[in-house]
Amino acid sequence: MFVKLAVKSLLNRKGSALLTLLAMSVSIFVLLGVEHIRTQSKDSFANTVSGVDLIVGARTSSLNLLLYSVFRVGSPSNNISWQSFQAIAANPKVAWAIPISLGDSHKGYRVLGTTADYFQHFSYGKQHKLRFAQGQAFEQVFDVVLGAEVAHQLGYHLGDKLVLAHGIATTSFALHDDKPFQVVGILAPTVTPVDQTVHVSLAGIEAIHKNWQQGGATPSPSSITAGMVGLKSRMATFAVQREINNYRQEPLLAILPGVALSELWQMMGLLENTLRLISVLVLVAALLGLSAMLLASIREREREIQLLRVIGAPPWFLFLLIELEAVLISSLSIVCGATLLYLSLISLGDVLTLQFGLHVSANIFSIHSVYLLLLVILATLIAAAIPSLQAYRNRFNN
Amino acid sequence: MAIDLRDVCFAYPGAPETSILNIKQWTVAGNEHIFVHGASGSGKSTLLNLLSGILSSSGGEVAVLGQRLDKMNAYQRDRFRANHIGYVFQQFNLIPYLGAVDNIQIASQFSKQKKSARLSADIENLLSRLNISRADWHKPSAKLSIGQQQRVAIARALINQPELLIADEPTSALDQPNSDNFMSLLMSLAKEHDITLLFVSHDMSLSRYFDRVDALSEINQSEASSPCL
Ligand SMILES: Nc1ncnc2c1ncn2[C@@H]1O[C@H](COP(=O)(O)OP(=O)(O)OP(=O)(O)O)[C@@H](O)[C@H]1O
Ligand SMILES: [Mg+2]
Repeated sequence: MFVKLAVKSLLNRKGSALLTLLAMSVSIFVLLGVEHIRTQSKDSFANTVSGVDLIVGARTSSLNLLLYSVFRVGSPSNNISWQSFQAIAANPKVAWAIPISLGDSHKGYRVLGTTADYFQHFSYGKQHKLRFAQGQAFEQVFDVVLGAEVAHQLGYHLGDKLVLAHGIATTSFALHDDKPFQVVGILAPTVTPVDQTVHVSLAGIEAIHKNWQQGGATPSPSSITAGMVGLKSRMATFAVQREINNYRQEPLLAILPGVALSELWQMMGLLENTLRLISVLVLVAALLGLSAMLLASIREREREIQLLRVIGAPPWFLFLLIELEAVLISSLSIVCGATLLYLSLISLGDVLTLQFGLHVSANIFSIHSVYLLLLVILATLIAAAIPSLQAYRNRFNN
Repeated sequence: MAIDLRDVCFAYPGAPETSILNIKQWTVAGNEHIFVHGASGSGKSTLLNLLSGILSSSGGEVAVLGQRLDKMNAYQRDRFRANHIGYVFQQFNLIPYLGAVDNIQIASQFSKQKKSARLSADIENLLSRLNISRADWHKPSAKLSIGQQQRVAIARALINQPELLIADEPTSALDQPNSDNFMSLLMSLAKEHDITLLFVSHDMSLSRYFDRVDALSEINQSEASSPCL
């Protein structure tokens, strides 16, 4: 009966209740959306690389090294010599070392020169190895392995031929038309920058640059962009890092990817907090609207409230009645807002991925979001306390 | 004794200098049907609100159904009203967006009277007895005629089987046939249920339905602009 009274009273004020519901739904949508995208991007961020103990590059800021070696963002200031890389790989504490050579592109996607070891050792997320959806690793100079998104977006299949350009612009003039590479492998999706990468052998990179004809001797590179290092024992991480940083022949920098990733994420903390602040303010505005709507309704319903008092309703009943109306509206708003967000993520997921490189799953329900929604209900109870108290205090004044 | 007032004085808190009521002694016996008349503004509604515990007296003894309202706190008076008193107003007796049945049910919610399976049977009996056709039982009460609304109000007031039924000019919004209809239903139901009926109005023509007729001006010794002592 209690709930029925609240529901019917809201239905009796369809117009204002509906508008309030709409405002609340939009704010829940914004709040959940911001939180969801934030946690998702944080996760996918932290998951871009794992199992790599050290990343080695020319001396620069650790952030810069991380950005160009892992995210393929920006360009390296300097390369490291092949000799230095060989020296690191020969270190007895090092289990494996993968060279990385960047600087070329194919239709806007970065080309990564490396060795076949890359596919064996590089991992992402919770120690997921790279997996081939089709084909296998490159063997020949002109073999190429595509990331999932590259293959999907450009419509490449195994055996297709393509041309790799020197430089990173889409419309590079230095198109190497005479170097037809052939797709020998396509990787399974990883939801990391790997999906947007074109992988070739180091020899392939040299071939692009030095005009090597197919069938020529495999050149060994004079320098590479960076290296990824796996150690035999995690315990040695700091020791090896120090050794590399103090390397005499060349100024080098070794970073721990996990540490650098969290530093980078912290730098984005300001943006993150601004977004959260805005979404909280939007919610506060909607809650104030809810409170104002209920307060106005109490003026309208003064006689109804007095009638309830006369037939024996204690003041706290009226307090709870108004609170219940508020909670009904905000619960319904949560349902509407969450549904709206879910539908938008499903329909706009591709756009987000394409435009912002953001891979967002449509599953918006986590422990975190449940807490958040409980907080919303709590905030609703607090915001509705003002009109509820008004109803509670309503004295008989005929 | 259904009602027993002694040395009761009342002034609205907003205007403490003007006592509205000042009653030395006034009693109503159980099962009496009493008509109290008075001009508009003479304090009839104020008296009824004192008796139902909606207002509390500034001084004196207010005993209703043997219980001292002046010694109860606000919460106890609410409970007392819900359990023992039925109330019919001049207008706005019903929550407009609820149907007749829901309105009556809500009233039973607040009393400690039976909330048994018999409740809906009781509601149906009362509504039939008050000539509300079944088709109108679940319509929002705002869509009922004023006459129907006032009759539903009687059912609402009687559902908790109160010992005292208070009616505050319940017919003043009704036309003559509706008013007659309302009065005869009210009187016979009060008789059937063995209820003390306290009915106030400025309309002396209604006094013919009652065994006892009092003038508020005789009960109330309050003089203009004198505060309660
Ligand atoms: N809440 C209030 N605060 C202050 N004075 C009030 C209040 N309610 C009523 N009064 C005053 O008390 C007096 C009696 O009012 P009351 O409503 O009891 O009269 P009434 O006999 O019921 O009149 P009517 O026949 O018009 O209903 C009036 O002079 C009125 O102005
Ligand atoms: Mg009155």
